[in-house]
This record gives sequence, structure tokens and C-alpha cells, in this order.
Amino acid sequence: MTQELDCRGKRCPLPIIELSKKINEFEVGQELLFISDDPATAADLSAWARMTGNEFKIISADNFLITKSN
Amino acid sequence: MITAGKYEGQHPLHPKARQILLDAFDQGWADPAQISAQGRQAQALLHQARESIAKSLALKVSEIELWGEPELISPIAIWGAPGFGSTPFIYGATERSEIIGMRAKSKQSFEISVDIDGAIDLELLTQTLQPNSIVAIQSANLETGVIQDIKAIAKAVVAQNAHLHIDATASGARFVKPAYWSTLHFDARSWNGPTGVGVFALKSDARWSNPLPHTKPTRAPNSFSIPLALAAAGALEHWIADESANSARLKSLIERIRNHVKQTISDVDIAGNAQSTLPNIISLSFLNVSSEQLVAALEVEGFSVASGSACVASALEPSHVLKAMGLLTHGNMRINLNHDVQDGEITKLLALLPGIISKLREN
Repeated sequence: MTQELDCRGKRCPLPIIELSKKINEFEVGQELLFISDDPATAADLSAWARMTGNEFKIISADNFLITKSN
Repeated sequence: MITAGKYEGQHPLHPKARQILLDAFDQGWADPAQISAQGRQAQALLHQARESIAKSLALKVSEIELWGEPELISPIAIWGAPGFGSTPFIYGATERSEIIGMRAKSKQSFEISVDIDGAIDLELLTQTLQPNSIVAIQSANLETGVIQDIKAIAKAVVAQNAHLHIDATASGARFVKPAYWSTLHFDARSWNGPTGVGVFALKSDARWSNPLPHTKPTRAPNSFSIPLALAAAGALEHWIADESANSARLKSLIERIRNHVKQTISDVDIAGNAQSTLPNIISLSFLNVSSEQLVAALEVEGFSVASGSACVASALEPSHVLKAMGLLTHGNMRINLNHDVQDGEITKLLALLPGIISKLREN
């Protein structure tokens, strides 16, 4: 089952910091459902993916599927 | 001094401009439209100030107007361009918010994207341009220091004989005007002049009409403060002298910051490249760092820096400039160097920064 990280209600940069910590515990190829309603998250995820070498897909406004790729 | 206050990148009033300002309150207080002795004196001082500002900015005196509310200049310049409202309004994605906001008043607006270095997509601009378009582009960005290739942009705009408004509030007296332009916007704060003085320039052959109610046959309200205008002119002259003595030094300091941060800190976005950014501004975004904590940690060490991150700007939305460039919007700090910065201050900052970042990342 896909693990979930719910950061709703948390403000920038907390969601991305928590995501970075969580993804460190993952194996390459493992997926995570990341939920964040902070307006900076969508923009920062692209930069985060570029910097860390991980991948993400936008599922809905607040839901992102993260794949540990690095 | 490494500084950035309330106004992004604002530096203290030039010390010599401060003296001019104090004297001007004694000499230039009268209404220059009156024929009294005091009125004539104020008029003469103002005339000198206008001539000096025009000369310093390489413009004709007849092309410039002083405004007491600089933030209004770009919106009014765009609003007064021929056909604004019904003709295509084209602007860059990293323009200042008050310029982007003008799209609400236009039936057709087009945002031109920028690449990861902040440069306008010239091909998209060229394709979007029509003969009656109104184009608003900044010569440089205040948040990131990114300079646009204004010469190439002007070439594309002149080919369509469209209106070109250039926001020069970040580059100030560093701005080199292209052969073709229609309206320009400067802010005296960019040359360490006082807050509350802006310069609106209208090219002699450009078509433009004042969109405000015409109560007087003037292009500007002319309700600016004369002492502030005199101080702005004085600050500009002194700023230019300081710049010629310090520009190479500032550039090398910014270069030092860029290289040192790249070598010593991982996961950092540095806005723009060294070739196309202002010599005094650098924007750094550190992954997994809170800008609020970063700004506070630097403050304790005596460094006053600004941040474009939402958590510091007391706004929910992240910086539209960093977002448009695809750069990290959190953990952002901006360094804006004044001419009086000491090399030792940068050495101290660079010695402290890697430790501060790694400590903040551990939290």
C-alpha cells in the first residue's frame, strides 16, 4: 500500500522539509502520497525534484504522488 | 553595507543627498508656479535638478517628468499608451506585481514566460507581438538581479512599431537605454535617493496621452516634493561617482558569494547566471531551510538581508518571480550590496553561512 504524508495546514517550508525527511527512509522506486495545501508546495516540488533527483506527479490540487528515484 | 529593508534592496539615503535635503527644506519650499522671490528660487532649483537628472540618465529634459508617487509610474505609463485596454498588452512573467496587475484593465493580455535563468522567451515575444501591442518589460529584476536582453527585446518591438515600456526601477542609473523605447520608469531609491521621487520618461516621438483627468495641460500631476526632488538629483550625481569607483569591486564580491556558496553548500538555487545579473544583487534559495529562521540568524550576526519567501513576506503566495523561473521559493535570501560594503563583511558572511545553513537544516 502507498504510504501517505499529510501536511495539510502546514506552512512553507514545513511540507517540503517533512517530505525530504520521509523520502530519505524510502527505497528507490517506492511511492508516497504527499498531501499539502500550502500554495508554495506545487512550485517548490518542481525545484525539489530537480535538486534531489526524485519524481512527482500532480494528482489533484493538494495531492502529489512522489517516487523515490535517487 | 549588505542591506535590504522594507523596500527590497533599499539603502540608506546617500549622505550627501541628506545634506541637500536639509538645505532644500529651507530654500526650495515655495510653489515654483508663483512669481514671488521664493517661488522663483524654488523654480530655479527645480530646473537645475531636472537638468541634472536628465543628464545623468542620458535623457532630454523635455522627456522627463518627476512623480511624487513612483509606484504609479508604470501603471500610468502603460495605461496611457495608445489603445491600452483593447490592444494586446504583453508583459514578462517576472515583472513587478503592479505591472502584471494591469492585465485586469486590458481585454487582451499575454504573459511571456522566462527560462530558468530568468531570461524572457524572445521567440514567444516575437510571435506574440502585433503592430499595436503594448509591451512592458523590466530591464532588471529587483528580487534576483536578472538583467533582460533589452536591446534584443527593443529590436523585436521596433519591428512592429509597438509601444515599449521599460521598468528601470531595479537597474536605475545602471540602465543603458536601447535605441528604441517609448516610456521608462525610474525610482530615486535605486540610486540611494529619497523615497517618494520617481522619474517618468516619455520619448519625444512616442505617442502617449495622460489617462488621468485633464485638469491642467501637463503630463504629470507635479505634486511631488521639491526638496525630495533636489535630494534625488544630488544623490544621483554622487551615486554615479561612487559607482564608477566601486562597480568592478561589487561585481567581484557578488562573484565571490556565488562561487563560495556553490562550493560549500549543497542543494541551493542561485538565481540567474553571472553574465546576466546586476553587479550588486544575488538571490539564494536553500532547500529545506526556513527563510524566517535564516534571516533571523543572519540578523544576529549583524547582516540585514531580505527574503522573497512567502513565510517572511507575510503573504501566503510564494514569490511569483522565483516561481516563474522554476526556482525554489522557500529558504530564500537576497543580498543587495551598497557601494560602501567592505570586503571584510563578505568574508565574514561567507565564513558563517555554511554553518548557519547546516544548523538550520538539522532542526
